[in-house]
Amino acid sequence: MIEIEKRLQRLNERLAYTCDIFADKSNAALGLLKSRLKDYLLQSASMDLGEQRRALLDLEEFFAASEEKLDADLTPMDKVRIVRHPQRICLRDILENVYDNYTEIGSMDEHSIDPSMVIARAYITRTRGKRTFNQSVMIIGHEKGHGEDFRNGGSAKPWGNAKALHYMQVAETENIPVHTFVFTPGSYPVEDTPGAAQQIAANIYAMASLRVPVISVISEGGSGGAEAIGLADRRLMLSHGYYSVISPEGAAAIEGRLRGNQRADADLVETCATRMKITAADNLRMGYIDHIIQEPNLGARPFHYDFFRSLRQELLRVTDEVSISVRGLPPIRSLRLRSRRKRAGRGLDFEKAYVRWNLPPSAQIRLVNKRHSKYRVLSRDAAPDNTPVSRRFSAVWQETGWSLYSHFMHDMLQKRRQKVAEYVDEVKSEWTLFFERILSPWNKLLDKIVGASERVNRETMRKLTELSEWDNNLVQRGGNWIYVSSRAREDRAVSCPNSQVHGCLDLWAPDLYGEFAGVCPNCGHHFPMEYQWYLHNVFDQGSIFEFAADVESGNPLHMEEFGSKLEEAKRKSGHKSSCMVFEARINDARLVVAMLIADFRGGTVGAAEGEKFIRAAERASRKRVPFLAYTHGTAGIRIQEGTNGLIQMPRCTMAVRRYIDAGGLYIVCYDTNSYAGPVASFLGCSPYQFGIRSANVGFAGPGVIAETTGIAPPPHYHNVYKALARGHIQGIWDRREMRFNLSRALLTMGGRNLYYR
Amino acid sequence: MSGGKHKILIANRGEIAVRIARACLKLGRDFVCIYTAEDAQSGHVRLAREYGAQKGLYRVSSYHDANELLAVADDSGADALHPGYGFFAEDYRFARRVQRRKRPLIFIGPSWQVIRDLGDKINTKRLARSLGVPTVPGSDKPIYDEMEAEKFARTIYEFQLRQGIEHPVVLVKASAGGGGMGIEEVHDIDLFRSIFRRIRNYAARQFKDEGVLIEQRIRDFNHLEVQILAERDCANVVHFGTRNCSIQSTGLQKRLEAAPGFDSKTLPYNFDADQLLENITRHSLVMAREVRYDSIGTWEWIVARDGSAYLMEVNTRIQVENGVSAAITRIRGEKGVDLIAEQIRTALGQPLGYTQADISFAGVGLEYRIIAEDPEHRFTPWVGRIDNFRWQERDWLDLYTHVPRDCPYDIPTEFDPNLALGIVWGQNLEQARAHGREFLDGLILEGQSQNGDELKSNVRFLRAKTDEVLSF
Amino acid sequence: MLDISALLEEIKNSPYAEMSVCAPHSGRIRFAPDLKEGLILSGPQGDFAEKPGTLLAHIERERNPRPITCPERGELVAVRRELDGQFVEAGTELLQFRHFLSRQEVEKRILQKALHLFLAPERARYYFVPAKDIKIKTAGPRSVFVHDGEELFIMSRMKRETPLPYHGPEGVIYAVYFSHAANVESATPLIGVCPPDMLPQVEEVVLRVQTEWPERS
Repeated sequence: MIEIEKRLQRLNERLAYTCDIFADKSNAALGLLKSRLKDYLLQSASMDLGEQRRALLDLEEFFAASEEKLDADLTPMDKVRIVRHPQRICLRDILENVYDNYTEIGSMDEHSIDPSMVIARAYITRTRGKRTFNQSVMIIGHEKGHGEDFRNGGSAKPWGNAKALHYMQVAETENIPVHTFVFTPGSYPVEDTPGAAQQIAANIYAMASLRVPVISVISEGGSGGAEAIGLADRRLMLSHGYYSVISPEGAAAIEGRLRGNQRADADLVETCATRMKITAADNLRMGYIDHIIQEPNLGARPFHYDFFRSLRQELLRVTDEVSISVRGLPPIRSLRLRSRRKRAGRGLDFEKAYVRWNLPPSAQIRLVNKRHSKYRVLSRDAAPDNTPVSRRFSAVWQETGWSLYSHFMHDMLQKRRQKVAEYVDEVKSEWTLFFERILSPWNKLLDKIVGASERVNRETMRKLTELSEWDNNLVQRGGNWIYVSSRAREDRAVSCPNSQVHGCLDLWAPDLYGEFAGVCPNCGHHFPMEYQWYLHNVFDQGSIFEFAADVESGNPLHMEEFGSKLEEAKRKSGHKSSCMVFEARINDARLVVAMLIADFRGGTVGAAEGEKFIRAAERASRKRVPFLAYTHGTAGIRIQEGTNGLIQMPRCTMAVRRYIDAGGLYIVCYDTNSYAGPVASFLGCSPYQFGIRSANVGFAGPGVIAETTGIAPPPHYHNVYKALARGHIQGIWDRREMRFNLSRALLTMGGRNLYYR
Repeated sequence: MSGGKHKILIANRGEIAVRIARACLKLGRDFVCIYTAEDAQSGHVRLAREYGAQKGLYRVSSYHDANELLAVADDSGADALHPGYGFFAEDYRFARRVQRRKRPLIFIGPSWQVIRDLGDKINTKRLARSLGVPTVPGSDKPIYDEMEAEKFARTIYEFQLRQGIEHPVVLVKASAGGGGMGIEEVHDIDLFRSIFRRIRNYAARQFKDEGVLIEQRIRDFNHLEVQILAERDCANVVHFGTRNCSIQSTGLQKRLEAAPGFDSKTLPYNFDADQLLENITRHSLVMAREVRYDSIGTWEWIVARDGSAYLMEVNTRIQVENGVSAAITRIRGEKGVDLIAEQIRTALGQPLGYTQADISFAGVGLEYRIIAEDPEHRFTPWVGRIDNFRWQERDWLDLYTHVPRDCPYDIPTEFDPNLALGIVWGQNLEQARAHGREFLDGLILEGQSQNGDELKSNVRFLRAKTDEVLSF
Repeated sequence: MLDISALLEEIKNSPYAEMSVCAPHSGRIRFAPDLKEGLILSGPQGDFAEKPGTLLAHIERERNPRPITCPERGELVAVRRELDGQFVEAGTELLQFRHFLSRQEVEKRILQKALHLFLAPERARYYFVPAKDIKIKTAGPRSVFVHDGEELFIMSRMKRETPLPYHGPEGVIYAVYFSHAANVESATPLIGVCPPDMLPQVEEVVLRVQTEWPERS
């Protein structure tokens, strides 16, 4: 009797769960389930125990069949509801059911620096022949905790991500693989030190070259929060999960142009979820995950023990594969891999095929290189490169040429030249000393005869009273700017936003946008200026050479209306993407610059922008010149490109990492407003980030913060001064002194030859 | 032009506004005055009420807000603007805006390019040197590099030591500064760098320009000025002689001026004073012609005790002390020269109507700046109400004031407590001094502060200084 | 002895402050279209007063229209419509509104009668001496206990500053009536000091106002 009650209870729960998943949508199969359960309840009173059992069995079978049918009908938004459901498996379930033993590090329920980020050391016991092995793993993942409030839905705070980074580095020291579990709707968007964006950037930067295998499993991959622990050698995804640049609600809010507390209607959210291509199957097709782990119908819940077994097998398989693929000599590697794959096809039990997971140093280097090449080719199809074939061909030759030249000049020649120079220097100084000693009595005698003081005096007199040589054109004095904004042609006054606080008087537009370079002379507020201002006033005149201009922003997800909006942006701006990459000189020092233009779709970054950024970093690397990322403004990753855009976070950060590791100087300069993905990755990872005064730098805008945290941030929350105080950036530059500051930065940070250490 | 009807906005307050308004009346021009809430009692407001044009008086939020002035100019229909001194008088950006806006106005002052070029000390100094005009020993271009600057300062230091100066001093000053702002003395060369850095930062902050000059400080000098006037088309440039403005407050604010610059007939000097005055006048004219000067302006000189003169700066505006030069000037032998009227006339495009040959000089003029302040306590301004302000009218006296005489007047706390200018004239220095003493002794100036303290003024100080005037 | 009830009654009889909005500078005025007498106006709102009050008018000067918003909440009494579209001088009164006193303001009004007021001797700007200023900024004015003859203020006028000692009974500074940004007319109160023996009475005022004053939203 109790047993029947329990089974009935289970069915009730299953029905409730299913209803939750399908929300308020009417569904025939769902209706049938409801009525069948109701019928059973009505009839069961008149049944004897045996009949009840039989009827219940029928009902259970019917449930299973219906669930299978319903599973096939799941829309992307239903899947979003699945991963957010409190009954969804969580990290704790995985720790208990997938691993053989584990110790939680630094947390006990709500007693944790961030209960939404859980770290654990665990091991898996495997055998080879008669021997058993305990294989250690570092486990890092978001914990949603079946709806426990303090878990914050798996939305990790900056310090939670910092903890994650710390233990990735511990894993590196201990030479054990890292398994990360992404169960997050997104990062908690607060700027408190270490700061959401800056910490994610630090994580991605570190993971780019972490010298141990990293396997990530994605259930809920919500934008930047997911990338904070999601960069991996193999990325697995649960079949009912989603991986997206923004939540469907967020996308709908942007799509529907909603403000404040307005909510998007369900249909629009549903449409957005579908259009954004966020499911496992979509992401596999686009290449952003490597493998899908099939879940039970309607998603894995804690009682799906078979699922945990298959998850365990998958984890073993790919961790093995990553280790094998970099270990030993190349022919043996591929042989082993091939034979394993063949055996796996025949049903090899990975529990009984122990493979070592710790890597020798040479394999570590191969591992990192492989990771970089893996990401380098991602999202290729999402950004059409319309460079003519002939030019592309010659570019390859050129690039090889630069590489060889740089290698010759800097690596081979420079070292020798330095030695010679040192030697010559020493000889010279000896020589001068020698001569001085010989000549000094003569000079003294000469002075006595001619009257040296008289001679010197006349010279000094001339120096102090007569016109000296001076090339006034070299100095940017008195607001003589080469480029002057078109706004400087209007005869009108402009109010400074700080006039209430600082009593600034209205400014005349021709003064403000002309001579003052958009800076309020009273309070120093920087009005936004066009990117052309920087182009022409910061770099040497005529020194700008643009490249990769034909890599074009596309519409890889075929979003309705977006195509035409994109064309409009291209037409208006005269650029094919929001990222312009060019070579330039500043006081004759060469450098490569990647610039994000705020006027082009808000400076958002998609596949084309990412590709251009990477090419710029690679060009700077080949030519061995400094690399500047000047952010005229960016609103984040271009959401209309979905994961094609999101993947630029790790891709570009890895390019930066390669460049810096090769000895490059990478400087970032933020202007106007810079938010979200780019700051949380390839911009925020620079050790030298500067903000133009009055700029805002941060993760999420004030509206998003108010909505996700429920607390409205104070005014100027993202201002560069705050960012500096929080340690997010390294300095603040006046726009008018940008050229000077940049030049000085190159001298003080890049050393004598402005490039390589 | 001559015939056209002009309406002039007087973009200033107090004594100079009164004088400009009077000049406008004399020339038969309409004028518009502005005032702030603080300044409602000022004499220029009353004058505008009595004699100003239709739409001739406007209350504004601040004299410092260019937008207010121009909005008022447009609403009142003014087509010319007189900046007076202070406020916008030497602001080339303002002059540029006035001339370049959609509804341009005539700026009664030099063209904005001239204001800009001569407002910059570096530029002025280089211009002077290129014309062989003597300038203070020191740099003539901005030095940005600290090490280079220090090296230069050391050279100046040693240069002074060699000349036998016991305690050499180096001056560091912002190129765009003026009126004692952004200038500092270096007595100990080891402190140079920190002072240099401070001034450079100050200049960058205050004037948006890092340009800094490094100069020898001239000690023990007299402050001389050459008054220049040029027609709009720069063809006719004349001078109105020299002034000596060496009697100043501890804060280096002028208190008593005399014209001409020296009086070699009465007083002994270590050098040929007449030759010196002739030299600085000649140099000033050469420069004015070179920059195509096109309005009224003053070339400021410092003269050391050995008689060497150095050009300091050029003031591209009417000055407070213009009246003292006018007092000794005769055009075709006629008295009653009004330099402000001449400035307005030429700015509106009228030809001068006379040449240097028509200008002659007679006697000695003294100008007293009557200020409510306490000379015995570092010239601390005095605040309160003026109850009684009277003087005796004389034919050798001109007195300019914005303080009303028929009612009590509260001195506004927002501005310097200047009350009046008294200009006396005498056939020679002796008579001028005597007239000065007579004027000061007969002056009645009474008032009370809120605490019941009696009015403090610098009249006694001026009386004592009258004996020293022009001696060096 | 202070009759709090009577004072409260008195204020209750006219629970308004008549306020007016003046042109901050000269320019052409355009009133907001829906401005009607009797309209309820809001002042700046939000946690940081970041949302401006009701839009009253635009004043345009040199082709730069600037919004004029309501500084306090209240009820619109009169609009000088004849100025609509006209060029006005700085300081011209544009409209009047009735501001319903808040609890804090009532408290302040009554306390002005209870506390010992130290008056400005002259028209000038005033500051606290740095040591006190820091304490007041960090811990509030009530953290400062003043004695007779103690140097408390700096009086600033004509760009010169003179120290000004406090005179009166000793006690804590209960209220500050000036801000360093604006000139203070002579004989207007600078601070209200609460001597220790008056504290119970002051506390009663606060309590009575808290309980008896209806806050209007």
